[in-house]
Formats: sequence, structure tokens, C-alpha cells
Amino acid sequence: MDKAAREALGARILERSNADHTEALVHSAQNELTRFTHNAIHQNVASNDVAVSIRAIVGLRTGVARTNVVNDDSLQACVERAIALARLAPEDPGLADLPNGGAVQTPPGAFAPKTADATPAIRTRMCEAIFEVAERDGLWAAGYASTNATGITILNTRGATASFDGTAAGVNVKMNADDSTGFGEAYANDVSAIGARTIAETAAQKALASAKPRAVDPGEWTVILEPAAFGELFSYIGDHFSAQSFDEGSSFLSDGLDKPYLGENVTIRDDYAHPLAPGMPIDFEGQPTQRLALVEDGVGRAIVTDSYWAKRLNRTNTGHALPAPNAYGPQASHLVVDPGSASIAQLIAGTKRGLLISRFWYIRTVDQRRAIVTGMTRDGTFLIEDGSIVCGVRNMRFNHSVIEALRHCEFSSDVRRTGSFDYSMVVPSAKIEGFTFTSGTDF
Amino acid sequence: MGFDRNAARALDTAAAGGARYADIRFEVARSERIEVRNGVVVTLSDATSRGYGIRALFDGAWGFAASSDLTDAGLDRTAARAVAIARAGAAIARRRFGDVPPKAYVDTFATPMHRDPDDVPLDERVELLLAAEAALHADPSVRVGRAWLDLWRTDKFFYSTIGSKIAQSLRQTGSGMQAMAVGDGDVQTRTFPGDVGLYQSGGWEVVEAAQLPANAQRIGEESAALLRAPQSPSGTCDIVLGGSQVSLQIHESCGHPAELDRVMGWEANFSGVSFLEIDRLERLQYGSDIVTIQIDNTLPAGLATAAYDDEGTRSGVSDIIRAGRLAGYEMSNDTARTIGRQSNACVRAESWEFVPMIRMCNLNLLPGDVAFDHLFDDIADGLYMESNRSWSIDDHRLNFQFGCEIAWEIKNGRRGRMLKNPTYAGVTPQFWNSCDAIADRDSWVAWGTPNCGKGEPIQTGRTAQCASPARFRNVRVGVGYGG
Repeated sequence: MDKAAREALGARILERSNADHTEALVHSAQNELTRFTHNAIHQNVASNDVAVSIRAIVGLRTGVARTNVVNDDSLQACVERAIALARLAPEDPGLADLPNGGAVQTPPGAFAPKTADATPAIRTRMCEAIFEVAERDGLWAAGYASTNATGITILNTRGATASFDGTAAGVNVKMNADDSTGFGEAYANDVSAIGARTIAETAAQKALASAKPRAVDPGEWTVILEPAAFGELFSYIGDHFSAQSFDEGSSFLSDGLDKPYLGENVTIRDDYAHPLAPGMPIDFEGQPTQRLALVEDGVGRAIVTDSYWAKRLNRTNTGHALPAPNAYGPQASHLVVDPGSASIAQLIAGTKRGLLISRFWYIRTVDQRRAIVTGMTRDGTFLIEDGSIVCGVRNMRFNHSVIEALRHCEFSSDVRRTGSFDYSMVVPSAKIEGFTFTSGTDF
Repeated sequence: MGFDRNAARALDTAAAGGARYADIRFEVARSERIEVRNGVVVTLSDATSRGYGIRALFDGAWGFAASSDLTDAGLDRTAARAVAIARAGAAIARRRFGDVPPKAYVDTFATPMHRDPDDVPLDERVELLLAAEAALHADPSVRVGRAWLDLWRTDKFFYSTIGSKIAQSLRQTGSGMQAMAVGDGDVQTRTFPGDVGLYQSGGWEVVEAAQLPANAQRIGEESAALLRAPQSPSGTCDIVLGGSQVSLQIHESCGHPAELDRVMGWEANFSGVSFLEIDRLERLQYGSDIVTIQIDNTLPAGLATAAYDDEGTRSGVSDIIRAGRLAGYEMSNDTARTIGRQSNACVRAESWEFVPMIRMCNLNLLPGDVAFDHLFDDIADGLYMESNRSWSIDDHRLNFQFGCEIAWEIKNGRRGRMLKNPTYAGVTPQFWNSCDAIADRDSWVAWGTPNCGKGEPIQTGRTAQCASPARFRNVRVGVGYGG
């Protein structure tokens, strides 16, 4: 559904409402994914949907109703349901006015027609290239190729009207050998910018190079995390930048801004316009999103807000709302870590004894405030001795504070886009001292 | 059924396009969530989603397409798209998938329910949560109180080209609460019941069984007390795990590794593989001989209970672990065929938008014969842990580490002082082989997991692992805090 149709649908909602104020969020999605294992496609799917979410405000009361049935009768019923819920809700004295929007500029490259129009055959060709690399090297590949198109429109009765159209494509490959595995990934808004064969070559090289892995002892290690590994670790402090966690005491920033928390070389931004990951210039309330330095040279500088938390903390609304209703507060969803000055080759060359890690697995928070997390290495872990990669090593479990890691780290000079089903970010590789491994595995 | 004509049209279109087999699953899902946070109703929402997903099998390749467009043109377009996707995959197929399911069913099913949540006025639902949440603030250090409930109703209509026609009306309900205490740079949480709440198939009686208001003050006080409690020790000792933590242990270290798609490498890139390889079937000593874990998708309270799965296979009861030995898997039609068995109806999709895949459904540890209080009897120096706080396990499902919200020391058979930040770690078969006592049926609860993630694109599954508290010997504890 294009922008004009979404706006017309949103207007049909607003004109049906007699609430004090009403917000209409229209979301259209076309998601397609081809998934493979053992060098064969085993899942091949597509879905399309248009859904609306209606937030009604009556006095200091709020109700939200959603539906994906968008005929007149259903929309009328959904509006009435939202208003009925609002009338039954207790008053919230902290309720903020809906934002009245503002001018926004969608970053170049956020929408790529080739991705929106991608066919199953395009993904099949990507898979075939991956299978050819795997079969050449006696490996089997597992992973996916995906193409998605999303449209968001927000309208409200305070005058906000904002829309965003975006696309996303991804290739994610695990190459499997007898006793080792390797990993590669690429994400872009334009599917034609993704070289599936190149990703497959990276994953295959890692699988082959980590064959016959050695066991090394747990303990404190110097580690070099490639962007996929660093991004996964880093994602576990993403919610620390939320005004809600800041105010409630569960953020590492909760002792106050403008204090040094991380290493002086660490600058963290929220930037929807980064050229590697151009994204939404608005939030889900239609408020223009600010580009922020959250941590600057190690010093905590900013938290992200939505209308509710901006009012509550008497701060500017930075435009980081999630869809209403949500109990999670605002979120920084376009995280970027500034690069350093050394290439990853130089980081490796400068390491006396350490581990190069491609990717982590199943990270979970052990201690919220200290940001201690645990997880496993996966799909390409290598021993570094005297500045060179020596061999693959068996996977190990770590327990380490992300905050501590960011106090003792060095970044590579290049950055990459990485992500998973619930986040996307742009990060460099990171060399971290004193990273604690607590146990190992047999593989 | 209301979708008979639509289904016939879509299946005819798929067949005309060359599909050897096709099925269509219509769903109308209604969900309500209420969440109270610090005295404010932060979520009061109602959602309806309606649509259908079509699976088509062409030349040994599957295609799946889903849409909310119920017009004739939409049905035609979506059915044709499913076949086109299957054709694209078939063009480069290195292996062939898909047998036609062995049996067709024509049937209906509705979740048994004692009290329809729709009969409980909305203001009564909200008041229950407001009262429980208010009572959580039993100490000034409780900075965040939360209480929530979810009501889910899903009407499913499944049709296939071999003649299945199945209508199911499923009701699932859950509620819970959480207190978060903050002080001196520390954050401690207590959640009740269990770590996600209590989620089961059924009606309002599930919310009543959770007993939130009666337990709220104690939970608030415990979160505050944890700020002052000593650190749980590091080392090796005997442990007793509360029922909801045993449920999580089953979920991670049996439920996921026993999914046959994972065993076969179909989830290798995202959800991982499994140490329960097919050549270990009927041979691997997974646990001690008191450990029997069953699939029972007919259990009335199980969160995943349904009469049929999303491939149209009838639910039943089967063993995964029998007296400690690996006895079976969670299977689909395709995967069961590869090991010469029949599907045991473990295929589910999150909603109409998603392709069905193997899910653990209801996976239950059968109760033992020890009263809960006697689990502590012969422990000289150990720990009792409750409510999961963190969970992590490797991609073969062997090396695990779990943290709980709270522990109490056990000294000479008695429960002693409260301890904070407890963790334990192990390797799956060694751990389950160290299980020497399971509490009896009086402590057995149908714990549900409403938010299990699997698959690409990721799907949320509603699973259950019914369990009693259990005792494990010589376990590594305190990992993550210097252990």
C-alpha cells in the first residue's frame, strides 16, 4: 500500500472518531524470505498485510485497538473499541499531548525499488551462488536470503502527518564443515548491493580455517570481536539509553548524564541517517527523530524520549517512541559506534595472545544494572598468537559486563552494518582486554 | 464453516497451478493485553487479526504465501504465489521434500473453559491488576511494579487437498506481576508466578489460579530484601529448583534439542542444532531413570493444547525421554518420514502470516513421589532457587547457564537465609543424570511459555512444560559472579 493510500486510510479513521484526540498508525508490510539448509531450500515464504492501530484519548485516559480488517464497518468498530477502552481506563495524570509532528527528510537510499519488487527467483539465484561455494569446498550451508518492504503512516488530530517507506534485504550464511563452522552476513536497503557469493566465500573461509579446533583454557583473554559479535554484545545495552530505564534506575547512566562511564575512545550515536543503514526519520507517534550523540568520548550525554517521557522528565521529545501502547518506553533503534584508527589487521597484528571471534550465540543479561551478560562463541573462533591467526578453537562460554568491555577496548577503522531480527546497527570491530570466559564445550 | 467457499477456491487455484498438495489455514485472532506499571494502565489494548496462509507442494519443494486479502482476487493471487514460490525453489532443488499427509480429518474442537473472560467486566480486570500492582510497593526501594494479563482467542480453520476440514476455537489466558527494587547501584526483581506469569489454555480461571493479589506484598518485600541479601556462593553443591525453573530447564535442554527439524540441521543458522542426534535414539541416557518427559498436546491446561496441529495431524501423547532414555522427537510430517515414524502433531505457526514449523507444544516432566518439603531432607549444604532471571545454552543445547531471581541456602535439610544473584551451570545429560528426586503431583503445575522464539522470520510460540520442583546433585553454582 503506497503513502497516499495509507494517508487516506488514516484519514478515514480520524474522521470516524469523536475522542478528544485520536492517533492512527497505518502499517503495511510485504515480507519474503528464502531459507536453506544442507545446500537446499527448505522454506520459502511470503506474506503481505495492512494493519491499523488506533489510539484514542478521552481526557486523561487512553485506549488502543488494532485490526487488519480495513473495511468501513471494521474501522468503525475498531475506533469505537479504542474509545470504549479509553473510557474504561483509569486517568493517567502524566499523560502527554500527542505530538503535532514537524518536517522530516527521509534519508537517501531508505527505499530501494529493486528490493520492493524482488521476486522469489532473485532470492533463488542468491541461494544458488551460496550453494556453489559450499559444494566447491565440501561444506553445507544454512541460512536465508530476505527482501522486505515496509510502509508506515501516522496521523493524529493535533495535525501530525508523517510517512516512511523503507526496504531491507539480508543474506545470512552459516557454512558447516565436519568439526567447524563459519559465518557471513550482509544487510542493505538495496538487494542489488548484496553479494551473496562474497558472503558465502567469507563464511566458507572461516569454516575451513577453523577446522580441527583446539581447546583453550577459560579465563581472561584479549578478544577481537568482528562486527557481528560486537554488535550482538553491544545490543544488550541498547535499552540503557531509554528515558524509562534511566529514570527507573536500571540503566548504567542512571547516576546522571555528563559523567564518564566508558572509555575515552567510545562515542555512541543514534543516527537514522547513517548511509549504511538509512532508516525512519520519524517515530511511531509521528515525531521527527533527533540524531543524537548518546555517549561522547566516554561521557554519557543523552537519553532518548517519547512524548510521555519527555513530559515526565521535563526534557525535549527526541522522537524515539515505539508503537502505542508499550510498556518498554522509548528506544534508540539506530545505534552507531564511531570507528577507531587501526584496521582489523592491525588490531590482530598488535595482539600477543588472544581470540578472534566471528559471532556470538544466545546472549542473555545476567545482571541488569552492571550489564553483565553471558553467551557462547559460535561459527568461527580463532587463536591469535604473536600477531597472527594460528588455528580455530572450540567454542566457549563468557560472562562479562558490556560496560567493562567498553572501558577497555579499541575499535577498528571500518564499520559494518549488522543486526538480527530485533535490531540493526552500525559498528566497527572491537578489541577488548580482560574478557572473561568461564567454561568450554567439546565442539 | 464460514470459509468453505474461500478454501475451495484457493485450493483449486493451487492445484490448477500444479501443486501436488496444498493446504490453507484461515485464522481470526483476538487478543487483549492490560498492563499496569507504577499505578498507571500503560497498556489497554485490543487487537484483531484475520488472514490466511497457503502451503503448496510442487515437485518436492514447498512454497508458502500469506495474505489478509479475502477477496476472490486476493485468494487467487496468494494461491498462485505459493505455487510460484515452490516452483522457484524446485528449479534448484538438491533434495525433494513433502509427502502428502497420511490421513484427512473432518472435526471441530474448542478449548474447555470454566469462565469465559468476556463475562468478566473490563473494569474488574483492570481493578484486579491495579490492586495487585499497588501491593507490590511494600518497600520504598520498589521502584517499579508491574502487573499484566493477556487474553487470547484464536479461531482456526484448516482445509487441505486430501479432504481435511478442521475448525478449532482456542482460548489461552495468562497473567503475572513483577517488582523491581533499586538501591546502591543494584537492581533486583521478583516475578510471580514463575518468571513470566502463569499462562495456560482456558478462561478466567487461569487468572484466578495465579492469585496475584494474595502474593503481591510478599513479592514486593522479597525484591527489596534481595538488595540487602548476601551474594549466592560459587562452587559446587546440591540444588533444588522451583517448578517454573524446572520448566525452563526442560524447555531449553530437552524441548528445543528434541525438535527433529533442529536435529536434522534445518535450524542450524539461527536456532541451532542438537546433541540428540538420530543415531542416539533409544540409546542415549539423557537423564536418571526417574526422568520421563512426554509430549501431551491433549492436556487440558497446557498452553499449547489443541486437537490438531497446523498440518492437520491429530494430537496425542508420546514419550520424548522414557525413564531417562531418549525415546522420541517432536515431529512434522516431513521430518517424521525421514526416520520412519509418523508425525506427533508438533507443528504450529504463530499466526496466519507464518509458515507452520515444529514446536515443542506441551512437553511435560512427569511428577515424582516426594513431597516438596522433603526434597531438602538429605542436603547438608545446598541451594534452593526460584524464578528464572537469565538463560543461555549453546547451539548444540549442551553447555547451559541459568540465573534465578532468588535463592535460599539449605543447611542440614532446612531452608535458611535468602541469597541474591544465584546462577548454576552444567552440561545437559550430566545435569539430568544428577536428578535424584522430583516432587509429587501436588506440586505439579502446567507452566506455560508464551514467548518462545524460533525460525526465520522469527515466530513466537506458545509452549508449555509442566513440572514439579526437582533436586540435582553436585551442580556448579555462582557462575557469572566469580564462580
